[in-house]
Amino acid sequence: MSAPIIDITDLSKFYGKARGIEHINLEIGEGEIFGFIGPNGAGKSTTIRLLMNMIFPTGGSARIMGMDVIRDTKKIKSMVGYIPSDANAYSSMDVHEFLSYCIRFYNVHDGEQRISELSEMFELDLSREIADLSLGNRKKVSIIQSLVHSPRLLILDEPTTGLDPLMQSVFFELLRSENKKGMTIFFSSHILGEVQMLCKRVAIIKGGKIIQLEDIDNLRKKQLKKVRIEFGDRVNNENIGIFGIESIVILSDNIISFMYSGNINELTGFLAGRQINNLMIEEPSLDEIFLHYYKN
Amino acid sequence: MNRNLFLKEMRRNAFSLMIWMIVITLLIVLTMSVYSTFMENQSKVSGMLSLIPKGALQFKGISNFNDLLSVLGFYSVNNIIYMMVLGSIFAIVLSSNILLKEEYDKTGEYLLTRPLTRGEIFMSKLAVISLNVFLLNFVTSLAGFICMELVKKGPFSIRAFLILSMYTFLLNILFGAIGLFISTLIKRAKPITTFSIGLVLIFYFINTVSKITESVSKIGYLSPFRFANVDAINPAYKLDFWHLAYFIGIALLLTGLSCRIYSRKDIYT
Repeated sequence: MSAPIIDITDLSKFYGKARGIEHINLEIGEGEIFGFIGPNGAGKSTTIRLLMNMIFPTGGSARIMGMDVIRDTKKIKSMVGYIPSDANAYSSMDVHEFLSYCIRFYNVHDGEQRISELSEMFELDLSREIADLSLGNRKKVSIIQSLVHSPRLLILDEPTTGLDPLMQSVFFELLRSENKKGMTIFFSSHILGEVQMLCKRVAIIKGGKIIQLEDIDNLRKKQLKKVRIEFGDRVNNENIGIFGIESIVILSDNIISFMYSGNINELTGFLAGRQINNLMIEEPSLDEIFLHYYKN
Repeated sequence: MNRNLFLKEMRRNAFSLMIWMIVITLLIVLTMSVYSTFMENQSKVSGMLSLIPKGALQFKGISNFNDLLSVLGFYSVNNIIYMMVLGSIFAIVLSSNILLKEEYDKTGEYLLTRPLTRGEIFMSKLAVISLNVFLLNFVTSLAGFICMELVKKGPFSIRAFLILSMYTFLLNILFGAIGLFISTLIKRAKPITTFSIGLVLIFYFINTVSKITESVSKIGYLSPFRFANVDAINPAYKLDFWHLAYFIGIALLLTGLSCRIYSRKDIYT
């Protein structure tokens, strides 16, 4: 890995006695798309707010591009873009006014052109009042403001909330393209699927602590499916005798639910000769994955 | 200070400033327009005022009927309400919300992720408060001066008028510093407008009660209004050094503390 663009050492934040994050250590290399996932309240936003110096740590330190996030915050922020989870901009402004206001904080020459390109890409009407925008459109404004100064590092906190699938796809394509040009992306989300789509490495945070840090390929190999089968007859040992089935729950005489980590073709092949009334295979929630891998 | 943030905040507050300027100016114009009628009927008014309890008159700022006979005295009595009280309310409402608003409007995340230090944000907002308070005082004082020139029956001391205006400005600035200080202590992102207005009125009430009631005269020193001398027609009227030191000293102390607290404050959005 190249020199870390984000280097977090033993970082902790407590709100009085309440835990924010505890002893987090993390290194993210330049040019990475790094996923930061965890359920709500796990400490994702707290970590990001500490990096952006919105709040102050109780212990530990963090450096971005080799600079201290508290002491060198101004210099760091001139090279960082940030998309907050809440897309609240100044409601008294129109979109163009707000984005122009954002540009003026940076020493950029092609800011207006960048606004024009990005707004076209996201089909955003620049003349509309921010107060009148839907959540999705406010999110687009938030995305554009984070990119107008072509930052070296982009920090995203639940960036896709409110975006429709089409715009999500445009957004992910843009992120990939910016990453190819050298931008490092720190992508925080509670949606495992979108992190898997983009990121090469991922840290899983739970209860304020990083419980897993690994390559996304390894995570994929471990990936589970949640399966629910309604058999035509009673469930017996033979019905569920296949490799890769874990955490079986018998819901009734003929309905079972389980986590499946094997080959999906083997499962369907196994079920082909049996009387099945209904079959449901879905992505488990992040919490279910946490429970499956880490609680037990 | 950041110019971009300063200009944005000035624009953001421009409408509010304009409304306050218009309202206070209109009140001054309306009040001063009564002065001529008042002078023509001074014996009747004197008779009427003699029926009102002294305490009630002092509550309005009238300690002596003769104070009202000079145009400057008439102006200064009314100035207490319109410019000192209303101006202080304007200053404290503006200052107590200017930082906090970013939190309860949830725009703080945008502001704090720009390439700015907390100190620059604070100084930009402080400059907005100072300029807004100055502009309000300048316009309303100018309106007062023009009104006095138009209705005066004899000359009045411009020096005394300027000192009175300076006291008003200093009092407003002090309340601006108080509002800023309180807002940095607030941990929950909620507007504190009602509390701020209440604080100005309570201080005004404390000062007035301390003037009316001899036994509690000492409590007046708790109120900044006590140090804003409005006795403009007194020949010895001057800008007292200790009063000046009080206003500037407390305002600087509170502003310094506010800046220090804000620079280390966790911002919730």
